[in-house]
Amino acid sequence: MRIKHPTFRRLVTGLSFLGPSIIGFMAFTMIPLVLSFILAFTNWDVRRHNMFRTEQIEFIGWDNFERMFSHPAFWQYLSNTLFFMLGIPVAIIGSLVAALLLTKELNGPSGLRRIHFIAMGVLMISLAVLLFTGFDFGNMLLLIVLLFAGILLAGLVGKATVYRTMFYAPHFTAGVATFLLWKKMYNPHTGPVNAALRPVVSTIQDVFQTLPPAIGPILGVLGVALGLTLMAFLFRRIGQAWTDGDLGRGALIGLSFISLLPAYLGWRWMEGSWLVILVLLGNLGLLLFFVVRRSLQPPFRQVAPSVGFANLVLPLTGGIVGQLIFIGLAMVAVQLPAMAATGEMAPPDWLANFYWAKPAIMIMAFWAAVGSNNMILYIAGITNIPQELYEASEIDGANAWQKFWNVTWPQLAPVTFFIVVMSVIHGLQGGFEMARAMTQGGPAGATTTLSYFVFIEGFESGRLGYASAVVWALFAMVMFVTLLNFKFGNRHVND
Amino acid sequence: MSAKPTLSTTRKSGMRYHILLATLGLIMILPFVWMVLTGLKPLSEVASEDWIPTVFRWENYQEVFSVIPFARFYWNSLFVAAWVTFLQVITSSLAAFSFSRLQWPGRDKVFLLYLSTLMLPGLVVVITNYQIMIQLGLVDTLTGLILPSAFTAFGTFLLRQFMLSIPASFDEAAEMDGASKWRIYIDVILPLSRPGLIALTIFTFIGNYQSFFWPLVMLRDQEKYTLPVGLLFFDSEVGQSTHLLMAAVTMSVLPMIILFMFMQKFLISGIQLGGVKG
Repeated sequence: MRIKHPTFRRLVTGLSFLGPSIIGFMAFTMIPLVLSFILAFTNWDVRRHNMFRTEQIEFIGWDNFERMFSHPAFWQYLSNTLFFMLGIPVAIIGSLVAALLLTKELNGPSGLRRIHFIAMGVLMISLAVLLFTGFDFGNMLLLIVLLFAGILLAGLVGKATVYRTMFYAPHFTAGVATFLLWKKMYNPHTGPVNAALRPVVSTIQDVFQTLPPAIGPILGVLGVALGLTLMAFLFRRIGQAWTDGDLGRGALIGLSFISLLPAYLGWRWMEGSWLVILVLLGNLGLLLFFVVRRSLQPPFRQVAPSVGFANLVLPLTGGIVGQLIFIGLAMVAVQLPAMAATGEMAPPDWLANFYWAKPAIMIMAFWAAVGSNNMILYIAGITNIPQELYEASEIDGANAWQKFWNVTWPQLAPVTFFIVVMSVIHGLQGGFEMARAMTQGGPAGATTTLSYFVFIEGFESGRLGYASAVVWALFAMVMFVTLLNFKFGNRHVND
Repeated sequence: MSAKPTLSTTRKSGMRYHILLATLGLIMILPFVWMVLTGLKPLSEVASEDWIPTVFRWENYQEVFSVIPFARFYWNSLFVAAWVTFLQVITSSLAAFSFSRLQWPGRDKVFLLYLSTLMLPGLVVVITNYQIMIQLGLVDTLTGLILPSAFTAFGTFLLRQFMLSIPASFDEAAEMDGASKWRIYIDVILPLSRPGLIALTIFTFIGNYQSFFWPLVMLRDQEKYTLPVGLLFFDSEVGQSTHLLMAAVTMSVLPMIILFMFMQKFLISGIQLGGVKG
């Protein structure tokens, strides 16, 4: 009795503190979760089962899922979601670069700083006077210079905090308000984006009209070459990681497999143009030269097959997306002379165009994601790296690039791992707010993601059972990615 | 020998990085600059390529309030966000105290249950929660917006992490003095958790101020719209009045920027707490 009594009392105290939270947790998380799972196997449709038409709600087994997988729209929305997620590595790299810049030593010598400070102040005041007294030549340029000087002035006083605030603001305010702002900016006729692009596009057109048509293929080859250079660098890293014993066999094969994705996508997009053959052959050649050749040699030390996957997956996907961008530019470049010859080149219609709507949203998402929590986490991570590691590598004669790859990047691996997991999870569920506020999921479903699809089915069409099935398919994907990341990522993090 | 070149590189690099960062910072805030300037244009200049209005039309801001019940939307948003924040801080801090400071059988299993729902997509429960709201008769009420958001596993997790970093000697000392668990919670742990509580307050407040999906499906009556839903409604009603919309957008973004400027220290420590250890 004496032992049992305190245990019971402890339980009562513990639960009394937990009480308010757990009641809400049960009512609005656990119970809905269970119900939602049950719902996924029913044919509940508010148009058929409501207070006027009391048809019985029936269990229909896997019918919802079968219907979903045979529904072409589902696959389109899934691939839209995955396409949007291609922006993730780019955004993470952007956050890392921003964090690296923000952790640089920004204190110059104080005398020098005062001079810069005074110079900027004088520049700002004179520009402001010019601008507001109606000096009307190149107002735009004056505005830009004025803002630049103002930011620099603030930065010299407030240091990294000022810049961090500016980088973080787009993320912090990201929501319907900023999406509507971008919607207006993307307006093809009245928005500032195309207003800025119009002179650029017409210059490009003029230039291409004067150049010989052969310039197209030359630029195309250049674009492919840039993409391949990027891949060469990454393949070399993979090969190097194998030799150093940082990479297991399974991870090597997996990564090599992923790295052929751009070639595959290029094949689908370009339908057998000569550029795609170049990309394909180039990638295979590089793979043979840097990876396969090295992997025939035994590694420096033996490791488990999956080791090293997490460490290389981000640079690799970054490289792949980079290569896709270069291939895309190459494709455009090849067609430029022909387009310029028509004399009708114009900036894109962005959100109103099936092909440009996704890139438009991705550009906006990049703007909102660079200065996100990821940047803050990277800043903390970089600040926590022991200074001795840099000093040691300096003694070994490492340059800035080598210091990054051999000290900063491995030290940041746990942070990167966390960021990748969270970004992928968010990416799978993302896109609803943008689609609703900017495009209504259009044009022709180009920007409808899975989450927007759930909204349409669950709240506009009222097919609750079907919508629940889609949600659970999404949940299964989230779980799968999480498990995959933990399987491959954990080992490295615990190092 | 080696110290000297390092010093001279910092001497030069200081300004170089300032210029680079200022350029990038400028690019980041350009959309906001356009937003503010367009919000001050007369209608006739909305389509103009010149960013700067010929006359600054401050009446736009007054007009927003007469075209739509903007003050109402503002109030609804602040009301909902404030209530959710208040309730969440209370429920989360109590639960976090229980998970970090009290020993009771089954505690870690229950915590694991909380933890496992952190990865749960919000969409999974949204459809059934809506049906629950219908049953409770809370559809199209502000209470219906507040209630489901008032309890989160994230807040509990964040505060638990924070409370674990407070040395146990503090409450042991209080216990020696005969303080009850409630006393310890109120007089020892809560004051020491202030940075964590502030971080959670900002996260929750901003999250709910911005929240869109749930208000969108819950609200019918225009009088109850929150800002995001109201802005969307405004855009669909007066699509051509970009200048008014931008004035409204400026007004809805402004509180967040001000909040961030003053609170960023707490916010950043909160992100690191929820992130690195998560």
